[in-house]
Amino acid sequence: MTAPTAVMAPAISIAHVSKTFGPRTVLHPLELNLVPGEIHALLGQNGSGKSTLIKVLGGYHAPDPGRGEVLIAGKPLDFGSTKSAHELGLRIVHQDLGLVSESTVLDNLAIGAGFPTRFGTIRRSQARREAAQALAAVGLDISPAKRVAELSAAQRTGVAVARALSRHGGKVTVLILDEPTATLPAREVAHLHEMVKTAASQGVAILYVTHHLDEVFRLADRVSVLRDGHIVLTRDVVDAPREDIIHALVGGAVEPVRREITDVPSENSRPVLTVSGLQGDALEGVDFEVRPGEIVGIYGLTGSGRESLLGTIFGAREREGGDVRVDGAQLAGRPASAINKGVAYLAPDRKRGGGLMEMTACENLTLPAMKKFFRGGHLRIRAELTESSQWMDRLAVRPTGAVKAPLASFSGGNQQKILIGKWMRISPRVMLLDEPTQGVDVGAKAQLHRYIMDASDAGAAVVISSTDAEEIATVCDRVLIIRSGVITEQLTGSDISVAELDRRVLRSNESKVETS
Amino acid sequence: MKVTGRKFSPGLDRFSGLYLWGLFFVLFSFMAPRTFPTMNTVHLLASTEAIAAIVALALLVPMVTGQFDLSIGAIANFSGILAVIVQTNGLLDPVGAILLGTAVGTVIGMLNGFIVVKLKIDSFIATLAMGSILEAFLVIVTNNREPLPVDNEFFTGLTQTNIFGFQAVFFYMIVIALIVWWLLERTPAGRYMRATGFDREAARLSGVQVDKWSFLSLTISGTICGFAGVLFVSLTGPSLGFGPSLLLPAFAAVFLGSTQLVPGRHNVWGTVLAIFVLATGVQGLQLVSGAQWVASMFNGVALIAAVGLAVVRRKKLSRPKKEKSKGKNQGGGSLSASTQTHGTQGSSSAHHAGQVSEKRVEV
Ligand SMILES: Nc1ncnc2c1ncn2[C@@H]1O[C@H](COP(=O)(O)OP(=O)(O)OP(=O)(O)O)[C@@H](O)[C@H]1O
Ligand SMILES: [Mg+2]
Repeated sequence: MTAPTAVMAPAISIAHVSKTFGPRTVLHPLELNLVPGEIHALLGQNGSGKSTLIKVLGGYHAPDPGRGEVLIAGKPLDFGSTKSAHELGLRIVHQDLGLVSESTVLDNLAIGAGFPTRFGTIRRSQARREAAQALAAVGLDISPAKRVAELSAAQRTGVAVARALSRHGGKVTVLILDEPTATLPAREVAHLHEMVKTAASQGVAILYVTHHLDEVFRLADRVSVLRDGHIVLTRDVVDAPREDIIHALVGGAVEPVRREITDVPSENSRPVLTVSGLQGDALEGVDFEVRPGEIVGIYGLTGSGRESLLGTIFGAREREGGDVRVDGAQLAGRPASAINKGVAYLAPDRKRGGGLMEMTACENLTLPAMKKFFRGGHLRIRAELTESSQWMDRLAVRPTGAVKAPLASFSGGNQQKILIGKWMRISPRVMLLDEPTQGVDVGAKAQLHRYIMDASDAGAAVVISSTDAEEIATVCDRVLIIRSGVITEQLTGSDISVAELDRRVLRSNESKVETS
Repeated sequence: MKVTGRKFSPGLDRFSGLYLWGLFFVLFSFMAPRTFPTMNTVHLLASTEAIAAIVALALLVPMVTGQFDLSIGAIANFSGILAVIVQTNGLLDPVGAILLGTAVGTVIGMLNGFIVVKLKIDSFIATLAMGSILEAFLVIVTNNREPLPVDNEFFTGLTQTNIFGFQAVFFYMIVIALIVWWLLERTPAGRYMRATGFDREAARLSGVQVDKWSFLSLTISGTICGFAGVLFVSLTGPSLGFGPSLLLPAFAAVFLGSTQLVPGRHNVWGTVLAIFVLATGVQGLQLVSGAQWVASMFNGVALIAAVGLAVVRRKKLSRPKKEKSKGKNQGGGSLSASTQTHGTQGSSSAHHAGQVSEKRVEV
């Protein structure tokens, strides 16, 4: 082999790697090179193979046998071995973060590297010190003794990044992040970007998977687009206009969705959902009403109560006080009774409470309302499958027709579509959507927004809690800003814009600092 | 149901139990040509294993819901002995005794359910303790003396009546298997139980009343075990300590069963298959070697192997996906959905995949 004439040897060089699941080729032989210090954004629609590529690199999937080769700083990667990847300095933050939620932050930080030991005994104090350092390095202010289950999504991402970057297992050459910002609010996104840039400035090559185009322009040096397992575009970001990227992504243009002001329901209809004095996890007495056909957004910083509000209304989290009514009837605070009254709740984390990963797409879709298939003492399985596949077609779930595949085998975005379909299927009176389009690609996102609007046109009261200001700005008629567990402000009509939302949230935060 | 690619895959894993069974038959027929390949062996296995299978089916229900039941053997034992005592003491007629045994099983099952759901004690601990408590009650009611057998033709005929050469108990097993299958696979209740077992929180947030189903699954287990106990004493007479010997094969069968036919799920026919495969192995080895320790050894090894297989299977579940051949019919998608998929090759490659597996079906 002759030495490459490139100015800088690639930190990672992927060549001819392909991956087939059964009869389906998910990755076609592809090439990708990253130089040290480069931030490389990887885009692609749901199911295009991004996570699969990363899992191959991380040693979780063996690639198809053949000429496939991956060099990390010139050294060949031993496929199918997580250890080899780690030793070569390849660090991955997976889409599902890979944290053990029942363990503490400290234990999770030690998972990759192992506890420091002396004579075989774990040295707790040293481990705690190192954990604190790792957390501080990414600017996270949480106690290492906390259980991961108690953390917010943003904090969990932070822990996963801290673990990946900690110097424990030797030098880090390549850091891969799979949709780290799917549920991060704007401010924390900025924070994550800082961490990523710092790492890059130290010579770490970064492969950054995202569905947010804005991030590409704000963060990345180069961008690649994966479509159906082929890399269809690789360019410097400065030479890649937004339209080109979108075109490469979806193979066409995306029709923008916008809520028309004329859609806004009349002021005088009676509210479907009435929340009064709601107390619970981080909630200090929340009051608001939603009328039929209205789409209301909930926006606020992490820790403001935004994360727990919808779950507490539905009964997923414990309610400590207050009162929730649907069409005047009180909700008991248990999911089953809420569903009976026509309330749907899309959980913010599909791995934790959102979906049943081992059950099939069909079983997930029909679970909340399956009595109709039970006729003559017998579940009408065929009818159930037919209805499910209609829903999957409607939501353009890929791969098509895989009604009987377990939910776990779908890509993240497609799982999300199935779970939204599950709730749309019961034609709810009230839809509580927590991060409804997390991890969904631009095209599908527009489409899901359209469906949410359809549901509201059909008379549902919709409440969306999201960290994505753009999402809130596009679909909501009214936005409630939540701070310190109470609703502090309301935005309507033309006041609703990304800039204005972030301004309000930050301002309310400053005033909080002043008063304290 | 439509034939799918999945159904006709060579299924070395899904049907490994069947292959193993075949292997046992061939092997032991060779090694014990006089004693093994006879109708006698078939009938013997069918009736002696019927009760083991019923108890395994009882265990299957809470296992699907994610609850252990380690008291299955003890429930069967206690209910069976009670059904004998009330008859020999002239307190109840056979029908009453059968109902009593079943009812006692049900009540113990409810108690298990109460302890697990309301007192929030882990089912593993709760039912382990319940087993011990029942053992104590057994000694209390019997004074630790083996009760006299019931001298009543109706009661013994309950299980021993000959139907086409098989004892009646074998058919009870079939009926119970059908009922459990119906419950688990053909009712919403079964789906709710499965959801509860796979992910309690996700099931709860989908409106499944997870506590109710956990309670009911333990109750159902108790009921079936109570009835199984009555069948046991009717078939082989009252012996004080038959319960514990039912526990291990039941667990082995449920775990092994979850690697069979519908891999990754605890399922009825896999469980029944596993019971008979294991029993055939034991029977054959016993005939060949004449050793007394074969059953315990075999069942112990099988349990470890079964759980090992189930774990491997679970890991693999997230990996290989069997494409459904139906994909072909639905490739077009609805109008509103087509904006995204048009112009990409995704739907066409799924198409292709569908056809490939379709072809495999035809071969
Ligand atoms: N274990 C598996 N078995 C079979 N198919 C799989 C498996 N994992 C992924 N796939 C399929 O491979 C394709 C690519 O999935 P992948 O998770 O890589 O998508 P992705 O680009 O990360 O999408 P998303 O943006 O939704 O996360 C999908 O169609 C998915 O269904
Ligand atoms: Mg992914």
